[in-house]
Amino acid sequence: MKTTKLLFPALILWLMASGCQKELLINDDGNLVPKTVEQDSTLPSISVNGTLLHAESFGNPDSPMLVILHGGPGSDYRYLLNCKQFAENGYYVVFYDQRGSGLSKREPKESYAIQTMFDDLQQVIAHYRTSPEQKIILLGHSWGAMLATAYINEHPAEITGAILCEPGGFMWQDIIDYVNRTRSFSAFSETLNDATYPDQFITGNENEQAVLDYKYSLLAYADGAADSPLGNEGVLPFWRYGAIVNGALFDLGQKEQPDWTTHLSQYTTKVLFCYSERNEAYGLAHAQKVSSAYPNVDLELIKDAGHDMITFPDGWNNFFPLAIDYLNSL
Amino acid sequence: MKYIKIILAIGAGIILSSFAQAQTLNWANLTKDDRHIINLNLGYDYAASFGAAYGYQLKAPVPIVLDAQFSMPAGENLFDDFKSKAGAQVRIFEWKSFCFSAEAQGIFRRYENPYARLLNFGSEFSGTIGYYRPSWFVAGQAGFDKAIVTHFKNSELYEDNYPGEQNGWYQPATGGNFFYGLQGGYSLRQISFYLKAGQVIEQDFKSSPMIPFYAQLGVNWKL
Repeated sequence: MKTTKLLFPALILWLMASGCQKELLINDDGNLVPKTVEQDSTLPSISVNGTLLHAESFGNPDSPMLVILHGGPGSDYRYLLNCKQFAENGYYVVFYDQRGSGLSKREPKESYAIQTMFDDLQQVIAHYRTSPEQKIILLGHSWGAMLATAYINEHPAEITGAILCEPGGFMWQDIIDYVNRTRSFSAFSETLNDATYPDQFITGNENEQAVLDYKYSLLAYADGAADSPLGNEGVLPFWRYGAIVNGALFDLGQKEQPDWTTHLSQYTTKVLFCYSERNEAYGLAHAQKVSSAYPNVDLELIKDAGHDMITFPDGWNNFFPLAIDYLNSL
Repeated sequence: MKYIKIILAIGAGIILSSFAQAQTLNWANLTKDDRHIINLNLGYDYAASFGAAYGYQLKAPVPIVLDAQFSMPAGENLFDDFKSKAGAQVRIFEWKSFCFSAEAQGIFRRYENPYARLLNFGSEFSGTIGYYRPSWFVAGQAGFDKAIVTHFKNSELYEDNYPGEQNGWYQPATGGNFFYGLQGGYSLRQISFYLKAGQVIEQDFKSSPMIPFYAQLGVNWKL
């Protein structure tokens, strides 16, 4: 009884002390997720297609341009910064966080269209291009490789070459099949429960993007977990995961069931298509199926790597020489 | 200051009623002399989870059961995530074999993954209406679970990504979910088995949790 009497005031004191801390607003800029280029003018940015994108370039602007397209949708280019090395090898490397992703400006959910993502890419290229003769090469990872392919399907004459790393698919059903395989966690696993349990702590409507971005970032650990089929060595570095753009593009995909292969037969340039040794959700069969949409493909296995082959040292060391050889062949 | 009061109120409520719990009861099988009810359950509650509860029926003109429960999701790290509830349920209305009961509970829950640890004080209110016979029952339930105030503590791993993050108590309320569903059970003299299941939808009435349903299989044992 004596212990109970002591416990109660102790708990009250603890609650009061905790309560006296400064209360933070969950949707204030910079509290839980970084400020975007709209909120922090010191970040490098470009204004294109009616939005503000976080973007940087490295290398000689007159060299062949290599545009890096990150995955997600909703991730950012931080995990692809190894690609700066291409700038030391004679390429003008352009990074940008796609609309609503990373440190780029947030946009309302209803403003998204898949075509807008293609238009953004077109305007990013136009922004950095220094001459009409400049070669333009796309390097896309995961969703970024799907975006690259969709763009090539729409503008086959504009793109000099493409490096594609484990795109989920170029047709909606392939994408869904792949995504489902990547989420094959045991119902009783810590990883799955870590992803689903926060739903009772944090909800938010579409106008409360900061808290939704934070919640989405908590899920990012799953891709680096030991029981993830993706086979990564660890978790990816990131600035901000864009929950709204991810949800919006996924919803649009469900609705529109896109097929980005309809004009790929016109693209006879060789494409470098990479898949990883450890991603159990991908594998040779899926790589062959997806890459077969291109008439001229160099299909390469990246050993000692998982899905994020560009990020981690072993994958990068095996990927980079292949990529440089391909780029120099164009 | 507003949140200090809320925390104090909820905290005190949890402490004062921590010897009690909300279980899925067969009101027609609960006599005035039944005092102690032990519950074991498993199912889906935002994750595959399992739990235990204890209920105490007060000596009162209408059936009132104080209850306390503890549940945790499955996984390798068992105690990093959990939910505890404490409160009371009251049979408010009875007509022939039909009963309407209401529940109010305070919630304290914890979540942790390699990026963050969240502590939350919340509340849950629900109502249940059904047809109750001594050996079986079927009912419908609807309620609202509000995450009132949450403490965020981000890990070094998260700080590596964003060093400017702010740890602390966050306002306004960080979440809320409505739930509704059906429940039914079979009762013996001392033991009742029940199954309940339903839908969960976020408070904006547009979004759903990743596991958009709840389900629980449980057993109540009257001591």
